[in-house]
Amino acid sequence: MFRSFLSWRYLTARRTNLIGIGGIFIGVFALILILSIMTGFLDESKKAIRRSLSDIIITPAKLDPTVPSDAEPLLSKVRAHPGVAAAAPHLNWFALITLPGNTADAFSERFLSSSEHSETAGVQLVGVDVHTDKRIAAAAACVVPRLFGLDLRPPRIQDEFDTSELLAALSRESKVGAQVANPLFPFAQPPMASTRERPLPAVVLGEQLLYRLNLGRGSQIQLSTGVRDPEAKEWVFNNRRFVVAGSFRSTENDMDLGRIYMEREELADFLGGTQQYSEVLVRLEDYDEDGERICEELRTELAEAGLIAGGYYRAGEVRTWEQYRGNILGAIKNERVLMMIMLSLVLLVAGFTVFAILSMMVTEKRRDIGILAAIGATPKGVLDLFLMIAFWDALIGAALGAIFGTWAALKIDPIERWLSSHLNFWPFPEEGVQIFDRNVYLFDYIPTIVQPYAVAAIVLGAFFCALLFAAIPAFRAARMDPLEALRYE
Amino acid sequence: MSDPVERPADAATPPARPGPDLSSPLPAVAPRVPVISVRGVRKSFKIGDRSLEILHGIDLDLNPGELVALVGSSGAGKSTLLHILGLLDRPTEGQVNVLARDAWSRSIAERAALRNKEIGFVFQFYHLLSELTALENALLPAMIAESRLGYSRRRRDYEGRARELLDRFGMTPRLTHRPPQLSGGEKQRVAMARALLHNPKVLLADEPTGNLDSATGEKVLELLFEEQKRREFTMVLVTHDERIARLCRRTLHMEDGEIQADSTVPVPD
Repeated sequence: MFRSFLSWRYLTARRTNLIGIGGIFIGVFALILILSIMTGFLDESKKAIRRSLSDIIITPAKLDPTVPSDAEPLLSKVRAHPGVAAAAPHLNWFALITLPGNTADAFSERFLSSSEHSETAGVQLVGVDVHTDKRIAAAAACVVPRLFGLDLRPPRIQDEFDTSELLAALSRESKVGAQVANPLFPFAQPPMASTRERPLPAVVLGEQLLYRLNLGRGSQIQLSTGVRDPEAKEWVFNNRRFVVAGSFRSTENDMDLGRIYMEREELADFLGGTQQYSEVLVRLEDYDEDGERICEELRTELAEAGLIAGGYYRAGEVRTWEQYRGNILGAIKNERVLMMIMLSLVLLVAGFTVFAILSMMVTEKRRDIGILAAIGATPKGVLDLFLMIAFWDALIGAALGAIFGTWAALKIDPIERWLSSHLNFWPFPEEGVQIFDRNVYLFDYIPTIVQPYAVAAIVLGAFFCALLFAAIPAFRAARMDPLEALRYE
Repeated sequence: MSDPVERPADAATPPARPGPDLSSPLPAVAPRVPVISVRGVRKSFKIGDRSLEILHGIDLDLNPGELVALVGSSGAGKSTLLHILGLLDRPTEGQVNVLARDAWSRSIAERAALRNKEIGFVFQFYHLLSELTALENALLPAMIAESRLGYSRRRRDYEGRARELLDRFGMTPRLTHRPPQLSGGEKQRVAMARALLHNPKVLLADEPTGNLDSATGEKVLELLFEEQKRREFTMVLVTHDERIARLCRRTLHMEDGEIQADSTVPVPD
């Protein structure tokens, strides 16, 4: 009984013990807070990658002449699979922006000839099927019920699914961009486009690209691209003017800076009809349940039907979004593991604090150890006594750390705002500091995810560290010769 | 921790005897089986390559209820012998029997239990735990002996015993005081209460008045002798003071690690 009683007395009688508790508290608090923030950031990054990708991406490798150049046979085969919710083709190409701004004025010309422009010159063109005409007709059918106050959602057309990522990107609030008038009809002519000329085909730009090129809705851009003329067997360069219908915000910086969406038919026309589609994007009924299996089945079926190329060099690929971005997802996982390892060093430091304090206490309490031995304490009892002190340190420190760490992780935004506005005294600047610069990140808030199992693991880790480091001085106390200890003054 | 030795149920409150009279000889005690018996005990320490022998083959029997003074000059080996008797130190050679059994052939836990329940210590420098109150210090042997559950079950009994002892030593107003708030004499009384909590068979006192002024020392001794008389435990008192030694019926004179003389005052008719 004396172990718990005396260890608590020793703990409360000496203020130096607060350092041990404080060390563990700070360790657990910092670990929970940082891990929650990093998990939040990584999760957001993963979501951003996920948002811009479909469940399954099929690249048929059309280099192989046996693979049909038209998307229809592949689409109908894919859509026939019971697990597939929708499938649609994408056409990807590249281009140079050769005319930013409304007119090719002197500034634009200088800008285009400057190497500073290189960051935004090359863009990826993505042609998507929006079927504007069909959807306008379907939307018109909803007008009457809506007049009667019925909130009918715009009809979904199967092929538009791949634009739903685009739809989300178009609907997202943007600070630097210019949102399209109606996200459901992204390539409709912008209201301020000139009506005197022949209407130009509309494009939607990433918000960063729009901002860098100082464009707005109704601005015109010229895109230049090269395509191979199959008859002349040489490369020809096409230029075409487009009108900017607005911008999208994907939350993935590369996309927002280097991607331009347009109607697939329009892009195919711009490329002289040489290309119809690059890949087919597939959405499944339930990806989490059987994504891998369906992917495997589609791979076999399409290869057997000759709709994707076989063979080692020109193999067509059917990949899940995780396989498609395997590298970056692997990097995210690695980052988390490395971070966990690095942050665990904080707990090691806390363990060292406990070690230092207990070592000091064993020396200080040498006489007490002798007294306890003289009146019947066993070496194991003395060992337990000092381990109990570390146990109390860990219990109080880890409990407080877990409570405050979780609280701080859940309330990080108000805490950050409060700190940013109140840190305006020396040595901070008078206007205060911005701890989390929202312009630097793609999120308007600090994303945090508190994982209960991570909190439990951190608390257990704190106990393990404290007891492990306490074992050394505790063993020293237990092995002490009681007579030597009694003589100590 | 289990009690390795059978004890009477009413051991905590032995029958009261007439008050102490330090000037009159103590009543005779019939010798029985020795409580502690040492045979051929030698103790040596290594200093560098040399071995220094402190005790040169001690034979000694301590009988129940005996009051023994252990006198001798500094460095004679009194304290070393006392520590060996109290199982705090292991002899280099020889045997130490406690309650008719070789103590060093017992397990660590059993030896610890003997120190806890059968042997009481009173030190010159009191050796109290400064974080605990007087009452808690007196209760410490019970806390060591019992598990958390066992202690909470018998807490009332233990506290009753400790309070009774401290009351007899005049410490009732000081129960909640901590050692730094107590005088030397008071500290020694708390140490005595702690040593006697389990009603041990032997009390080993290492110059209990060595750190007290003569008036306080006399009072402390008076209380100690009174308790010895009431409880009839064996007491070994290490002292330099011949006057104190004369109060004990048996006196052991130690010189150079040997018992030079073992004298017992004859029982008056």
